[in-house]
Amino acid sequence: MTALRNPRWQTFALLVAAIALPLIVRNGAFTNFLTDAGAFVLLALGLNIVVGFAGLLDLGYAAFFAIGSYAYAMLASPQFGIHIPFWVMLFVASAIAAIFGILLGAPTLRLRGDYLAIVTLGFGEIVPQTFLNLAQWTGGPNGIGSLDQPTFFGYRFGFNVTPYYYLMLALIVLAVFLVGNLRDSRLGRSWMAIREDELAAAHMGINTTSAKLAAFALGASFSGLAGVAYGAKLQLVSPDQFQFNVSVAILSMLVLGGMGNIPGVIVGSLVISSLDRFILPQATSFLQNSVHVNVDLTNSRLLIYGAILVLMMLFRPEGLVPSRQRAAELHAGTSDPNAVAQEQELYTEAVS
Amino acid sequence: MDVFLQQVINGLSLGGIYALIALGYTMVYGIIELINFAHGDVYTLGTFFSLAVLTLLGVSGEVHGPALIGIVVLTIAVAMLLCGLTGVIIERLAYRRLRNAPRLAPLITAIGMSFILENIMQYWRGPSPIGFPQVVPNPTFHLGPVEIGAKQLLVIVLAVVMMIVLQLFIFNTKLGKAMRATAQDRDAAQLMGININTTIALTFLIGSALAGAAGFVSGVYYGSTWFFNGFAAGLKAFTAAVLGGIGNLAGAMLGGFLIGLIESLTTQFISDQWSNVVVFSVLVLVLIFRPSGLLGESLPNKV
Amino acid sequence: MCFRFLAVVLTVVLAACSSPSTSTSTTASSAPAADASAAPAAAPAGDASGDTIKIGVDLPVSGADASIGIPTQNGAVLAIEEANKNGFAGGKFKLQAALLDDAVQGKHDPAAGAQNVKTFIADSDVLGMIGPFNSNVAKSEIPLTNDAGLVQISPSNTSDGLTVGDAAKALRSSHPDVNAYFRVCTNDSNQGGALAQFARKLKYGKAFIIDDNETYGKGLADSFEAHFTKLGGTALGHEHITANQQDFKALLTKIKSLNPDLIFFGGTTSTGGGLIRRQMGDVGLAKVGYMGGDGISDPEFLSTAGSLADGSYFSVAAPDATRLASAKTFVSAYTARFKSPIGGYSASAYSATEVLIAAIAKAIAADGGKVPTRAEVLANVAATKDFASPIGQIGFDKNGDILSPALTLQEVKAGKVVTVDVITLKS
Repeated sequence: MTALRNPRWQTFALLVAAIALPLIVRNGAFTNFLTDAGAFVLLALGLNIVVGFAGLLDLGYAAFFAIGSYAYAMLASPQFGIHIPFWVMLFVASAIAAIFGILLGAPTLRLRGDYLAIVTLGFGEIVPQTFLNLAQWTGGPNGIGSLDQPTFFGYRFGFNVTPYYYLMLALIVLAVFLVGNLRDSRLGRSWMAIREDELAAAHMGINTTSAKLAAFALGASFSGLAGVAYGAKLQLVSPDQFQFNVSVAILSMLVLGGMGNIPGVIVGSLVISSLDRFILPQATSFLQNSVHVNVDLTNSRLLIYGAILVLMMLFRPEGLVPSRQRAAELHAGTSDPNAVAQEQELYTEAVS
Repeated sequence: MDVFLQQVINGLSLGGIYALIALGYTMVYGIIELINFAHGDVYTLGTFFSLAVLTLLGVSGEVHGPALIGIVVLTIAVAMLLCGLTGVIIERLAYRRLRNAPRLAPLITAIGMSFILENIMQYWRGPSPIGFPQVVPNPTFHLGPVEIGAKQLLVIVLAVVMMIVLQLFIFNTKLGKAMRATAQDRDAAQLMGININTTIALTFLIGSALAGAAGFVSGVYYGSTWFFNGFAAGLKAFTAAVLGGIGNLAGAMLGGFLIGLIESLTTQFISDQWSNVVVFSVLVLVLIFRPSGLLGESLPNKV
Repeated sequence: MCFRFLAVVLTVVLAACSSPSTSTSTTASSAPAADASAAPAAAPAGDASGDTIKIGVDLPVSGADASIGIPTQNGAVLAIEEANKNGFAGGKFKLQAALLDDAVQGKHDPAAGAQNVKTFIADSDVLGMIGPFNSNVAKSEIPLTNDAGLVQISPSNTSDGLTVGDAAKALRSSHPDVNAYFRVCTNDSNQGGALAQFARKLKYGKAFIIDDNETYGKGLADSFEAHFTKLGGTALGHEHITANQQDFKALLTKIKSLNPDLIFFGGTTSTGGGLIRRQMGDVGLAKVGYMGGDGISDPEFLSTAGSLADGSYFSVAAPDATRLASAKTFVSAYTARFKSPIGGYSASAYSATEVLIAAIAKAIAADGGKVPTRAEVLANVAATKDFASPIGQIGFDKNGDILSPALTLQEVKAGKVVTVDVITLKS
């Protein structure tokens, strides 16, 4: 029983379950779903660095996803006849995404939070439109197809979804490991300090600009990873995969699960992905066929994302699976006695 | 040269709509420092309300004579009233509780409200673009080498008039004074006996009512509406508010006209497909190099 | 805490997907068949058992595309219902439509289409599929069906690069020698060519070309431009508009200064086809001709363009079924079943589904009543020749293009759509 309470064992058990899952549930559609959901877990983990850790609202995160995907599409496809191996591209594309993160972040990070949100939103609009307009390089509206499939010691991934599932799982494990270490590092602590009170953090001697820039670049690099893996799996990139609603979907995952908390982010992205792909279609077909109510819930995605954002921020801003620290902060403004108590607890924890 | 001047007219009338939306953005931001993301959708809701009124009145085509003035005034008034109330309800439901929360929190609920409104409009009138009756006749006037349509004139004049009325209201009435005081220091204003909640609600009422007016005008101007229009229009109007200097009414109008001009001139001299990229690049550049905007005062990072 | 949550989520997800594909049965009459799909989730893929054979149908049926997508889907559903009623394969098997929607947030989406096709591929009961509606969606689907050897027939994709040229080869890179994609409508160069001829016949000489920068719209506009200039017309310019654009006055003012006698639009009503026509009136271009492809041949075009719709021309990449003697029975069966008039592609979807059903039936017969493989069904579809359908004789060339496609040219007169001509092309 005690082993069950040990977080390390819990993680291990979950990992084993995740590895075994496609072997137990031998259903291609389900594995396929999990693989796509995995890409969003990666994206959410990356956005979590920016929004959850450093408290910077990035509303154009899909732009970095696009940059990662297009980098792979241009450098590993028949488009220009360049075929850089998949594993190298993982690094190259993350680096390219990170560079764009720095290019966007460097001049804008000194802006106030909500201005930053709008700059990133503008960036998120510019990037897919630019990929669309530069048709001679990007294939314009057709996008780029036939992307190279990864090979692993001579094993070609092909079109079967299972190897991509394990690839995505490996990337998530890597990401969780990296993000966890980052959170506990000196840099991670300075992010939290900035998030809580930027001015105070600066007075404590934290170089806020470079810490924020690091958050931006690292966050962007994760979406580069996700972009490469997702592009290789889907065999296609096209500009309409990276619209604003993708950025908002990822943000909703964070808000729902719990900003700043790794398990929370994973839960949030799995819930939203399954809502999108299973729960809404299933509920619709149930309502239409069994209850004979003619409602199409899949048409209500916007409403559901919107409701999640509003209700969570109003009533449970720390998310379903909160990190205790973030919960205290987010409740600080409201006169919730619970939060005050939590804050008190945190305070005593800190001084003792 | 003629084409250039003609494009200036096009840009100004397009900008007039942005300006009307931007006024609401700038008022709300000025008073509670919230980017009211749902504002663009309140504007679209304005076209939907106007359409409903026109349908009720049985108007489906051009109207002439005194009836025209009656119908226009009535439709605008109803659209403004309903949009204003929508704004007040949104503030009450989604923002008031979070007034003292970290700033990201209300911004996130604002995005959520925007999505909710879009989905409601999609339920209401379906997912396809909807035709809007051509209520206002569109004779063209010739000003030297260029021509200007009556509808274009309507947009520009309405934007300027609204801005002036608003300016007078804010600087010459007691309520306006209360709004300015609240914007400057909420706590101090409260200590002076100003009812903060009422004042903020009033700001939302006026700002959203302006979006309702913009909604009617854009319906007439374009002859169509669509549940998703508010996203792009709202974003550009926000860009306009930032460009002019957020919190500044004259700035919002100036910004609106400038964004309209940038769009039409990009179409003329570069190409249509780059107009959005250019507008949003302007947004990014302004925020980087002059975050206070053209007419705004510089805003230090608030402690 | 977090462990419990993850466990709960996984359970929910597992429970939610206990039926292998999200096949929805839209019709009350075939509702009992839907229960047959509740096969155990753990059934390994590749084991086709049971007496249900599914036909995947992937079309955009929500959002702005619903007005044209739903009548198309109805065509496919009707073909399947009729086959079941007429004792498909001697009544031994029941056909079932697995209906999936490729529209996301009100618009057809290539990624959603690819997901749907993967769902079909993973479901071993699916022996063939109808769809997609849009060419850009087809681009993301063809590599998948090519790899899986799942036959796919589109009622309406018109982009050239789906079947011929290097672009098509790239789509079939997994098995270059196999073609699993077929279509029963003409392609954009034929459509653009026919429209260009039509425009020249109407004595238009100077055209400005606009497209919506999507696969379909750009392809059609490019083809129109090429043919129009080849036939002696002048293309004054070619611009791409942006998504969700509402204001076209600046673009139209620019165009007006070039004095065109025709504006050609490659795109759909929802991407701006109606608004452009309407705003032409505001800048003094009301008298200039307006022409587009099948993307603006929907009722929404008439309502958004308003009074300006009159005098616009467009094509439908399918013959006008209400004018065809061969489609009489279909049209009356459709209106009786769905209580609404047929859509521009209802007959095409019905015919495509008939071709697929016939191929499956033939394979079952050849296998002595057993469930055929996907490869057998594919081979039978490819061998289709002179198949009599409501839209005429169907046969395919080696690229999957229909041998003698037909298209309809229409004009708006006094607010009503009038068919000007039905052309059968020789390929």
